[in-house]
Amino acid sequence: MSASDLSRRDFLKLTRNILLAACGVLGLGGLVRFLDTRTQPDPQTDFDAGPADSFADGSRTLLSQVPAVVIKTAQGFTALSLVCTHLGCTVQIKPEGFTCPCHGSHFDPQGIVTRGPAGKPLTVLRTEVTPDGRLHVYTV
Amino acid sequence: MRRLIVIASALLLLTLLGIAWWESRLPRPVALTPTLTGQVEYCLTCHADIAQISNSHPVQTFGCVLCHGGEPLALDATLAHSTLRGGSNPSDFSVVQESCGGDKCHSGTPTSYSDHIQRATTSIQATYAGAIASILYTYGAQPDLSARYAVSAVQDPLSTSGITSLETFDPSLQTNPFIKLFGQDCLNCHLEAQPLDGQAYTRFTGCAACHTPTQAAGVASNTQIHKLTTAIPYTQCNTCHNRGNYDLRAMTFVPRQDTPTDRLHNYYQPIAQFTTCEYMLDCIDCHTRTEAMGNGSLYSNKLDIQYIQCKTCHGTLTELPQTRTLSDPNDLAFRLALLNPVVDLKLGDTILVTEKGEPLWNTRVLADGTYQLVGEATGQVFNFKPVKGSGCLQDPNEQSSAACHNCHSVVR
Repeated sequence: MSASDLSRRDFLKLTRNILLAACGVLGLGGLVRFLDTRTQPDPQTDFDAGPADSFADGSRTLLSQVPAVVIKTAQGFTALSLVCTHLGCTVQIKPEGFTCPCHGSHFDPQGIVTRGPAGKPLTVLRTEVTPDGRLHVYTV
Repeated sequence: MRRLIVIASALLLLTLLGIAWWESRLPRPVALTPTLTGQVEYCLTCHADIAQISNSHPVQTFGCVLCHGGEPLALDATLAHSTLRGGSNPSDFSVVQESCGGDKCHSGTPTSYSDHIQRATTSIQATYAGAIASILYTYGAQPDLSARYAVSAVQDPLSTSGITSLETFDPSLQTNPFIKLFGQDCLNCHLEAQPLDGQAYTRFTGCAACHTPTQAAGVASNTQIHKLTTAIPYTQCNTCHNRGNYDLRAMTFVPRQDTPTDRLHNYYQPIAQFTTCEYMLDCIDCHTRTEAMGNGSLYSNKLDIQYIQCKTCHGTLTELPQTRTLSDPNDLAFRLALLNPVVDLKLGDTILVTEKGEPLWNTRVLADGTYQLVGEATGQVFNFKPVKGSGCLQDPNEQSSAACHNCHSVVR
C-alpha cells in the first residue's frame, strides 16, 4: 500500500497507535526508572585493612578511608577512630598522639584527651581477623 | 471517542517529553553527608567552587545546611534557597542562635570558652546601650546614664553587672525631636544595623560584621565573601570606627573628609592622638575578646567593659606587666593561637596577661626580660621593653592613654 493509498481513517488510526505506543513506552520507562531509584547507600561500616600479617608489631597504620589508625602490638590489634569526639573533624596523627586541626583537641597515643575541647577519648573500633587472614575494621 | 483518545495521548506524550527535557536540564546532584548531621545535602552541586569558610568549619564536617539552613535535597536554586537563615548571612543576630548556637558550638558555657553568642548579643557593640542612654540622658528623657534600652530587647538573667535586661529602644515613642533624629540618623553602627552606603562602610551584620573581613578582601558592596577569621584587621573595625563622627547638634553622621591611603593616616581620625603601637598594631592586638565581644553581661557604657591600658603590656615605673607561664594544656591561649596561628605556643612559654587574667596569647616574654608581640592580623613582629627601669617620666598613678600621649604621640 502506497502512501497515497492511505485513507484518512487509516492515517488517523496509525497516528493513534503510534501515540499510544509512545506513551506506553515512555510510561513504562518512567515506571522502571521510578522503581529503580536508589536512595543514598548506607555508609560503609566494614573495612578490609589487608592481610593481618602485614602489620608489624609497634606499627601505626593509617586507614584514611575509615578514617582510623590501626595499632599493632604483640597483644594484637587496636583500631582508633580518627573522628574527633568534639565535633567530628578528622584528627591528625602526630608523634605525641593525635591533634584536631579544627578546634585544637589533643589526644595521647591511646586516644585519651590531653587538651580540650573534646571531652571523650577517641573511639576504639572493633577489629577482627577473618579466617582467610585479613584484618577487618568495623565502625559500628 | 477515538479522537479524544488521540488528543489525550498527544497531550500525555508532550507532557512526558516536557518532563524529560526539564529533568535533563537539572544538574547531576553532588551529594555530601557531613559527619555532624549525617544527612545528605546537595548544596555542592552548584556551590563546589565556594572556599571553605575556615579551618574550624570544614565542609566535610559541617556541610552547608547546619549553618545556612535551606533545602538540602533541592536542585532548584529558588527552592534550595527558600529557607536560608539570614539570607546570605546566617550570623545575623536575628538567626544566629539557630545558625551558630549549640552547646558544642557557640552557645556553650564561659568555662568552655564557647559562649560567643551570649557575649556578642549582650555586648555594647550589639546593644548600643551606652549611646542610647547618653542621648536619652542628655535630652532629659531619663534621669541618669544607666542603660535601660538596647537596639533590640535583650536579657541577661545571670547578670554580673546588675543589669538583667534592656528594652527595645523605639524612637517613635520619644517626643524630643533630637532623640527622634538620633533614632533616624545615628543607629548605623551597631552589629544589627545595615551599614551606611559606600565602600568604606561595607560589612555584614552579626558575627560576620567583624569576623568576615570585607575590607581586607576589598570587596564592593553586596559582594559575598565566604570567610570567618579571628585575624581581624583594623580596616574591618574602621567600617564603624574612625570613619567619621556623629554630630550631636545636627544629630547626623558626618563622614571624615580626608581620604587616607596609608595605615598612619587611615587608622585614626585627623584630630586623634595616638602612639606608634596604637597605629602599627591592629585593634585586636590590644582589645581582647572580652573587650570587643563583652563578657556575656549587659553594661551601660563601653568604659564599663574596657580596661586595657598601656600598662597592661608595658607595666609602670614600679611594676612589670603581668605574665603567665603556660602550664595548663587547656589554657585559652592555646585555643586562640590555634584559631590564628601566627605564633607557635607551647607549654612552658611565658606570655603577658591582662589585669583580668586574659591571655595576650600573641606575646611572649623573652629571655632577656623584654617582650615580643606578633601582630594577630599582620604577623609582624614587635619587640618592646617594660617601662620599669626605663627613663620614662610617667606618674605611676596616671595611666590613662592621654597621659602616655603627652610624650609618645605620633606626629603626622
